[in-house]
Amino acid sequence: MSRKIIIEPVTRLEGHGKVTIHLDDSGNVSQARFHVTQVRGFEKFCEGRLFWEMPVITPRICGICPVSHHLASAKAGDALLGVELTPTAKLLRELLHMAQFLQSHSLHFFHLASPDLLLGMDADPAIRNIVGVIAEKPELAVKGVGLRAFGQKIIETLGGKKVHPNAAIPGGMNKALPPETREEILQKIDGMIADVQIAIDLIKGYYDRNAEVAASFASFPSGYLGLVDNNGNLELYDGKLRLKDDKGAVLEDMFPPGDYLSIIAEKVEDWSYLKFPYYKKAGCPDGMYRVGPLARLNIADGITTPLANEEFNSFKKMSDNGLLQGSLYFHYTRLIEALYSAERIKALAQDDRICGKDIWVDSARLNEEAVGVVEAPRGTLFHHYWIDSSGAIRKANLIVATGHNNLAMNRSVCEVAKEFIKNGKVTEGILNRVEVAIRCYDPCLSCSTHALGHMPLEIDICGSDGNIHQIVRG
Amino acid sequence: MKTLILGIGNPFLGDDGIGVHITKELAREIGDENIDIEDAGTDGLNLLELVAGYDRLIVIDAIMTEDGEAGEVYRLKPEDLAGTVQPTSSPHHANLASTVELGKKLLPGRMPGEVIIFAVSIQEVAGFTEEMTPKVKEAVPVAVNLILEEIKAA
Repeated sequence: MSRKIIIEPVTRLEGHGKVTIHLDDSGNVSQARFHVTQVRGFEKFCEGRLFWEMPVITPRICGICPVSHHLASAKAGDALLGVELTPTAKLLRELLHMAQFLQSHSLHFFHLASPDLLLGMDADPAIRNIVGVIAEKPELAVKGVGLRAFGQKIIETLGGKKVHPNAAIPGGMNKALPPETREEILQKIDGMIADVQIAIDLIKGYYDRNAEVAASFASFPSGYLGLVDNNGNLELYDGKLRLKDDKGAVLEDMFPPGDYLSIIAEKVEDWSYLKFPYYKKAGCPDGMYRVGPLARLNIADGITTPLANEEFNSFKKMSDNGLLQGSLYFHYTRLIEALYSAERIKALAQDDRICGKDIWVDSARLNEEAVGVVEAPRGTLFHHYWIDSSGAIRKANLIVATGHNNLAMNRSVCEVAKEFIKNGKVTEGILNRVEVAIRCYDPCLSCSTHALGHMPLEIDICGSDGNIHQIVRG
Repeated sequence: MKTLILGIGNPFLGDDGIGVHITKELAREIGDENIDIEDAGTDGLNLLELVAGYDRLIVIDAIMTEDGEAGEVYRLKPEDLAGTVQPTSSPHHANLASTVELGKKLLPGRMPGEVIIFAVSIQEVAGFTEEMTPKVKEAVPVAVNLILEEIKAA
């Protein structure tokens, strides 16, 4: 009898996701889907609020990338006011952003990805976790904590609050950088750069030992979208959109982010709360593209910091056309970006303007509509606001990284399920592989619902009649 | 003795934000330089650095149980939650017991020696709203008084 397997929700991710895998009568995969089933309605919730408040409201959407929402929202505010930031304000915003990249990418590698990579995807689930990594490689786990703490400290000092930042406001920043924080950053940053390089050596060692898996695991052609600077280099805070197709051909270049709606459309499916954005000209699902670290390095021509650029060149040499499509390469690209972030933090702290006091500009103008965009750790983040003459939000549209990757995550789940599930044989190791595929994208499911007592994982195996035959909880 | 009172939850997700609402009330009542009050938003590993260096940690959160009535307030120890989320699961979602255990390994000597959890029973989190349901809202003063007593007793 054919079965349906449900994994719910995916462990080690923020928010609530669920995977269903339908098996046919011979026990092979007929269909697999990644659902997002948690609360929705944040855009509606924003209506009627003043755009000035948005940078402190939107970080509450997600507990793990509050800085990205904070900055995208402040940038939309800048554009509503029609202002250009002072040089110091721009440096401070980027410093805040880079600190988040460093801590977020470090958390992902050291605490979420490393158990699968260091201990093996088939390792006993009881040890295949951060506690297992601490037992196996205690020094590595400590480095992960150190990198996170370093990034977090900058966010705290600069962001104004320990958890939810409030420093970026439409028109600039409301706090200058204390000189002693600048000194502390400069004292510690070389050690941080060295620690990221250790992680990079680890992941490269993993690829050397597992070349075939790295190349084939959840590997499939897709488009890639992200921001680049005016020279086509990696850019995370401010830039223009570039979209490449699955062969590496540039479909859109130097595209103004404010006009994203003319190239991106969003499809709604009744089985997921998360919308499915796609490239308009190619339609859905052919217009599937990916965002995030892998996408950003696939579309970029170079990186402006020397150590990260060296790694970028190694990355580009791993394929003929400069494109790597295997989902496990997200890990390498994430660490290259962590290295770039650490190098940028150093360069920003070395800039004498960083402690300047001229950090905010006023404006008498008020545009009716504006878009703020940043590259969040997980990918391109759009905040689009329409306001009335009092500055209250009439309508808001947010496209988050996990949304952009929605089609691709579904595709990844399908690829992995089809490859590993044969003749109805479903083991914990196979189901973990399905999760590993999703985990590559590090999706934050735009929600910080977290109530105690919540079970993080459920796998339901059902028959062709739709009835659940077996439930596995992790 | 340094104490941290930590409210967990999202105040824009209705009852999920009960912990944050309670910390706001406590901030009005407590003026002790040895007691810090924070609104943390999310839980799990993200809290490790936040709680490091305190002697006592008081966590306030929402809880979902199979047969709990909405608005009931429980005083719990980390071990009471041992069966909720396994240590193999999400660091974003790691439960308090496993977070503190992990912290003892990662940040030796810096985890609070005493951890107390005040949990308010909620039924469901349906969507984005700042309003709590009536029964959960009524639990705010109850929990505030219990926590104030807890602090006085120490």
